Amino acid sequence: MGQTVTSSLQSSAKTPKTIAMKENTEHQALANWLQAVANERSKAAFTHLFKFFAPKIQRIAASKYGNETLASEVVQETMSNIWRKAHLFNPDKGSPTTWVYTVMRNVSFDLLRKIKTKKEDNLSDDFWPLVESCEADDADSQFEDHLASKEVMRCIDTLPEEQKCVVKGFYFMEMSQEQLAQHLGIPLGTVKSRLRLALAKLKQQIGGEK
Amino acid sequence: MISCHPTQEMLEKFANGELPATLAAAVSIHAEMCSECSAQIASYTEQQAEAGFNDVSSHDASSTNVNDEDAFADIDIDDMIAAITATDEIDIALEDKEKTITVKGKEYVLPRALTNMTMSNWSSIGKLARSRVELGEGEIRASLLQIQPGGSVPEHTHKGFELTLLLDGSFEDDMGVYGPGDFIVLDGKHTHNPVSHEGCLCYTVSNDAQHFTQGINKLLNPFGSFIY
Ligand SMILES: [Zn+2]
Repeated sequence: MGQTVTSSLQSSAKTPKTIAMKENTEHQALANWLQAVANERSKAAFTHLFKFFAPKIQRIAASKYGNETLASEVVQETMSNIWRKAHLFNPDKGSPTTWVYTVMRNVSFDLLRKIKTKKEDNLSDDFWPLVESCEADDADSQFEDHLASKEVMRCIDTLPEEQKCVVKGFYFMEMSQEQLAQHLGIPLGTVKSRLRLALAKLKQQIGGEK
Repeated sequence: MISCHPTQEMLEKFANGELPATLAAAVSIHAEMCSECSAQIASYTEQQAEAGFNDVSSHDASSTNVNDEDAFADIDIDDMIAAITATDEIDIALEDKEKTITVKGKEYVLPRALTNMTMSNWSSIGKLARSRVELGEGEIRASLLQIQPGGSVPEHTHKGFELTLLLDGSFEDDMGVYGPGDFIVLDGKHTHNPVSHEGCLCYTVSNDAQHFTQGINKLLNPFGSFIY
């Protein structure tokens, strides 16, 4: 998929008369790459995104903060957030460039705050949430999308304690299954099966409420 | 109905991430309650993104690329990509569980912007209770202020600015009645004393006048109506 998109982007870029069309095609290509990162963890798609955005972010941040080192840090952090949060991008809610801009703005805010106040509280996602509230979700969006909802939090709270730990650790504290096994002092296989059980239960509960 | 809003300049600075956390929190809370300001912020954000990432019309595409590559010549792109994509984990940004606080027997749901902030213990005088929000921004200080039913803030002048964002309940002064979402900025040249008949909870931000910078002072003083 990435290949077709690239070639159409390049060919349209050669025609200066079609700027509006180029922008549309470009947005489409960027949106496709974000989705390929989200759904397939595609490194090829990420590389395209990186080449498109990283130099621009570097330029914007360097001119805004007058500091190349800080600008590189903004690039590093923004791009790694894109890799980790691409699933939060929703093409129906806005353009891919606006979404990446908000990621960059949030990263910059937290970085600058860390420098100025020595606080590492990362408040940006509370001030500018990257995810819409659950009312807006369409009915057939994926299970992962529902994890953003309070409803799911309530369901998670009804899980048996041992499953709750695994789900919270894995999804909310971003621990790997291996880290969880170590942290909880249980075999990796147990972590996997608890997670599977918990997710099955959650899917059933959430499905049942529709 | 919300009658007091942040200025356009504040909304734009908020969209650009340029306000201190104390004020960004206030604008964020207001925007959550005010669809007008929220739409305005979205439009500023889009304009910024457009200017930064989509500015193809003003440049020849090829020369833009050359500049961008120059700006990025020192960094080993492949290494950076490999390092970033080495992890398979994703961030599940979930809405925080609602956080509630109870002050003098009354329970409030905190706005999202305040859910992860550290707050001091409540201290109270008469019908007022206050908790400091610890944001570490020096002379710019944020608090939660509760006025219990029938309580009022004693008349005083403030040399800096004071921002009051009403979160719950209402209060009134000689200028009018204010309700949840109202974003009231005053610079303390005027005195008055707001009274709350039903009680209220406010998020307030104020600064110490002597240490205050010209730029933000200017930003915060465009209003003709004042409260504290
Ligand atoms: Zn408003």
